[in-house]
Amino acid sequence: MRGTAVDVVLDVGFFHDWMGRLARSIEENCDELTRLDAAIGDADHGINMLRGMRAAIEALSSEAPKDPAGVFRVTGSRLVAVVGGAAGPLYGSAFRAAAEALGPKPEITVPELARALRAGVKAVQRIGAAEPGDKTMVDAWLPAVEALESAASGSVRSAAAAAEAAAREGMLATIPMRARKGRASYLGWRSEGHQDPGATSTGLLFAALVDATR
Amino acid sequence: MIQSVDRAIRILLALQDEGVLGVSELASRLGLAKGTVHGLLQTLAAHSLVEQDSTSGKYMLGPALLVMGNVYLNSHDLRVRSLRWVASLSESTGLAVRLGVLVWPDVVIIHHVGPKDASVPVSEVGLSMPAHATALGKALLAFHPERRRILSEEPLARLTGQTVTDPDRLNEELDEVRASGVAFEDQEAVVGEASVAGAIFDRSGQAVGAVALVVPADDRGVDPSHIAAIRDTARGISRELGAVTWPG
Repeated sequence: MRGTAVDVVLDVGFFHDWMGRLARSIEENCDELTRLDAAIGDADHGINMLRGMRAAIEALSSEAPKDPAGVFRVTGSRLVAVVGGAAGPLYGSAFRAAAEALGPKPEITVPELARALRAGVKAVQRIGAAEPGDKTMVDAWLPAVEALESAASGSVRSAAAAAEAAAREGMLATIPMRARKGRASYLGWRSEGHQDPGATSTGLLFAALVDATR
Repeated sequence: MIQSVDRAIRILLALQDEGVLGVSELASRLGLAKGTVHGLLQTLAAHSLVEQDSTSGKYMLGPALLVMGNVYLNSHDLRVRSLRWVASLSESTGLAVRLGVLVWPDVVIIHHVGPKDASVPVSEVGLSMPAHATALGKALLAFHPERRRILSEEPLARLTGQTVTDPDRLNEELDEVRASGVAFEDQEAVVGEASVAGAIFDRSGQAVGAVALVVPADDRGVDPSHIAAIRDTARGISRELGAVTWPG
């Protein structure tokens, strides 16, 4: 039956595929991320994320983690090691905290994924002291997690789609915001009218999740 | 204080904070009558300190301020004498270098050279960074005669999970900076960035500015060679300004 919770199995293969799709999406959107970051940051978000995801994909192939948590752990570790600026520590810690929350399970349910991604955004908030509305990746990630949590009883596809829609909405909502955290906060009102690059890459993370359920 | 001058300055500061404001918005922000604000704006506009947007009728800062800003930069003794030192520090380390002065509660960047590996050069000149969260600010606060008072006036903003927001803890740290002349910060202003700064003194022994090396926090962070380099640079600039001693 289509559209039930058993339609997609969230196993190690799914997580590996998800990260592969994220890497390709970062590659396709690299210039866009750099353009957004040039307006309110230091113009390196695209190239940093690209370098990090390439390293993560390489490590995933060579280390071949055996469970979903392993995929997140390897990805997070490579991002911390390879990505400069704020993105490395923030995304790296998010993936590692999410891995910790998943635990050594061969298959993950949607509620478990939601809980792990909640742990991920908590790590981001702890490191960056960011609240919703500060114009950061939290503005896309937090609503996505909330959507995933409330959709958790439906199918994987519909839950992922709800999370992606919420992330995209949160990403677009950063445009009028005045940055209160990160380099962009030095610009004051001049940060208004620009979409946050971190919220944009978080949007890509959830878009890749939807792609992986197809 | 001359009231009208103060009001005119507050108009300029409001436009700096908000970008574009109409007469009514300015009047309510400043608690003044619209007519008063209008008169002040007319006077400022006559000197090109503000200008009016022809379509919206709202006001913004004017080009005369850029001229003034450039005169400030080019006649600033500390900055002019630091240029050569900053260039050589960035050349030898490949890292970004900032020169700043204290405009509490911020540090204003008056000279900046980006890191060697920057894909797109981004200038930080004219940016304000929170003093309590930056090495530049700590280097200057440490030698501020009234630092205990100013640090207790307003709550210190949390900018990352690492920002020191407890005034007592910051004061303890600043006592050490006073002894060594060198201040540190590890991802306290933005995630991923650490910095080390040295205070710069003039002939009278007053700390008039600070110079900082910006170190990516993802490497091994600030190392002894960075500290030695910043100390040499800060001491060298201080000597040029006529300072006879330097801490440490």
